[in-house]
Amino acid sequence: MSQRTKIDARGAFCPGPLMELIAGLKLVNIGDEIEVLSSDKGSANDIPEWVKKVHHELVGITQHDGVWSIVVRKAK
Amino acid sequence: MAAVPLYILLCSGEHEKIHMAAMMASVGAVSERPVEVFVSMNAIMAFARQKPDTNRYRGGAFSDLMKQKNVSDSITLFRQGRELGDLKIWACSMALDVTGWDEDRLESDLFDGALGLTKFLSDAEGGQFITL
Repeated sequence: MSQRTKIDARGAFCPGPLMELIAGLKLVNIGDEIEVLSSDKGSANDIPEWVKKVHHELVGITQHDGVWSIVVRKAK
Repeated sequence: MAAVPLYILLCSGEHEKIHMAAMMASVGAVSERPVEVFVSMNAIMAFARQKPDTNRYRGGAFSDLMKQKNVSDSITLFRQGRELGDLKIWACSMALDVTGWDEDRLESDLFDGALGLTKFLSDAEGGQFITL
């Protein structure tokens, strides 16, 4: 059964949230999801771009009060 | 299609340029793109082992802003690139000769070794080359 892990990267500037996501993906199983919380607007654009490039899956992205929630599923 | 390797020649000792090199190197490396960094000239000074953070980086107004806002440390970013991606970092052998440093004077577990410019340029043929 897939699991979801949350990474709180609020306050970190680009590329901090992306690097935290990648480190997190190394620790989970294929099919598991990671939710990254980020206050960095650039990362809200960059993380989906990275996910597309390296062929993971973007589950969803939402924004509330200046904080983005980006959910990524490990696909490989 | 395999990604074109990225070669970064880092010469400047300015904080802003060192950090830009760290950002490009780490993001490139974790994006399935081989990256090699060649550290020479003034840049080598910022990589001295156990140098206090307060005087490791010298720069202008943007450097001050990065320090005030606790932007991640440039060397930490290089380390993340190495841990998470395909990133190699070389110390210029000429810079080591001029400073009189051996590799033990550089940040530990960060460099792949010392390298001459001729070898780096030869390796970089066919890749994308950026100088900072």
